Amino acid sequence: MNPGMNRGMNHGMNPVERVFRSAGVTGWLHAVDIDDGREVGLRADEPVVLASVFKVPLLLELHRQAERGLLDLSERVRVPAADRTAGGTGLAAMLDDATLSLRDLAYLMMAVSDNTAADVLLSRVGREAVNTLLDGLGLTATRVVQNCRDMLTSLWVDAGVADQSDVTQACTDPEVVARLRALDPALGNRSTPREMTRLLAMIWRDEAAGAASCAAIRRLMALQVWPHRLASGFPFDDVAVSGKTGTLPTLRNEVGVVEYPDGGRYAVAVFTRSLSTAQNQPRADAAIGAAARMAIDQLRTHI
Amino acid sequence: MDLVRHLGYFLVVTEELHFGNAAARLGMAQPPLSQRIRRLEEELGVRLFERSSRRVALTEAGRLLVPEAREIVARVERMRDLMSDLARGDAAVVRAGVPADLGAAVLAALIAGFRDRRPDVRLSLTEMGTAAQVAALLEGRLDVGLLRHPVAANGLAYGPVLVRHPGVLLAEGDELTEWATVHLGDLAGRDLVLFPRDAEPGLYDDTLASCRRGGFVPAEIICTDRVEFALGLVLSGTAVAFGAPAEVPGVVWRPLAGTPLAWRCSPAWRTEPGPYVRDFTAVAVQVLKENAGMVDEGVPPAPRVAPRPATGFLA
Repeated sequence: MNPGMNRGMNHGMNPVERVFRSAGVTGWLHAVDIDDGREVGLRADEPVVLASVFKVPLLLELHRQAERGLLDLSERVRVPAADRTAGGTGLAAMLDDATLSLRDLAYLMMAVSDNTAADVLLSRVGREAVNTLLDGLGLTATRVVQNCRDMLTSLWVDAGVADQSDVTQACTDPEVVARLRALDPALGNRSTPREMTRLLAMIWRDEAAGAASCAAIRRLMALQVWPHRLASGFPFDDVAVSGKTGTLPTLRNEVGVVEYPDGGRYAVAVFTRSLSTAQNQPRADAAIGAAARMAIDQLRTHI
Repeated sequence: MDLVRHLGYFLVVTEELHFGNAAARLGMAQPPLSQRIRRLEEELGVRLFERSSRRVALTEAGRLLVPEAREIVARVERMRDLMSDLARGDAAVVRAGVPADLGAAVLAALIAGFRDRRPDVRLSLTEMGTAAQVAALLEGRLDVGLLRHPVAANGLAYGPVLVRHPGVLLAEGDELTEWATVHLGDLAGRDLVLFPRDAEPGLYDDTLASCRRGGFVPAEIICTDRVEFALGLVLSGTAVAFGAPAEVPGVVWRPLAGTPLAWRCSPAWRTEPGPYVRDFTAVAVQVLKENAGMVDEGVPPAPRVAPRPATGFLA
């Protein structure tokens, strides 16, 4: 028995909106059929905070520079143990000096959202280069103005804690969350749900870069390890889910592509913000998958 | 001059903002009232009212005087009442405010305990929320209160802070009753029945902030200070409530894991506590510990967020 969920509220509300509402989040969504352009949206043109989703355009620019001969993806880069950008995964969590190729750094950045790997790659390709690429693709609402270290620094400055290790705890305080600049799309890395699905559709149609580069990006997005967001809406062996998550206090995002066994391919971008400040909210994570499935199901009703 | 009486005239004029009406209320003619206000202004060396032919308005000094004058007048009245009670041979009275959800047994123990200690003093109890108690204490209508924290009020002094950690009240048959302890996050999406914010502004905000922190944002909040009404909503499965175990068939209590909610309470009074207020405080603290399961405020356990890479920032 769970009376709060069973109340017959919100009948007639957009079903995607209902999924968000019952998980205690505000949601922004856009889903598009990659091959016929049919689309479903909810606040799809509003600016949203990308958080780690910015690693997708960064990855694309890395491959575009490799195509132009500006860098070699197999070039080995030394990542010293000292002064790494913080994070709970990948090199950000490892203790010793490491030497990896640029493309293996890209793997860590995409598979486990490694913040250290992302900052090494962004300093290599340059923020302006990423924005120039986005302009060229017509994605002018999408901007990369910060690296991971900038975002994390703004969190601990705004939270008013002396030690970065106290940030996670401080950011469950609703009063602290209310003053975080990192949650304002105008101030950091940003986009809209519609621009994110356009970017993904171009990658899946080999339009964002050369076919080999697009294939390499699709490979990395399929290697992401997280099962709790977009993938949780499609618990089927014959459906492929590729994606990139993004997380900041109260924000849970994922953009990705869902591929059905009948050949249907759908780019979907889901951005959420929860009223609760708890870090662990499996219902909010799962709402991303549930909303995506509902949107994609709407795109498939006419098949 | 009789300063207290003049302050009394002043307060009536501030309420009426009209000398004719104020004089009528005081049962006197207008000229002597005007004269007395002028004398008060001379005594204090400031103008208290702007007078024009059409209206009377308080000056800045007048506005500052209002709360001070009220306090002085109320305290003098109280002193006179107390002395005249004694002169007539009536028992002295201590006026105490207590929260609505104290419960019959605790209330009875409080009255019995005070009677044992001070058989000569009558205890006059009023059921009041914290906001009303603060106002009544500051205006001299209460001698002592039992307030819920956090309280933002200047001019009050507090006795020992006691704390209790409420659990959750669920309907029998609710799936969560299968757990020995319930996490706040388990309640996500439920409706909550809670005391009204008007009555307990500090504790209401504090409780909801702790809920947000713990992953529980109620779908709807139903406010009531009636315990029976709250239990009815719990019993019907409409909402969950926070509190102590209820001896009501069909309602099941479970502790909240990690004691995320701390409801603090302490006796409070204005200025120096008199002997009756000290006695009431001592009895209340003892009764709240022995009969209401409250304990001395210790060092609160630091809340923590256990690191999990998949849900950490920038994952």
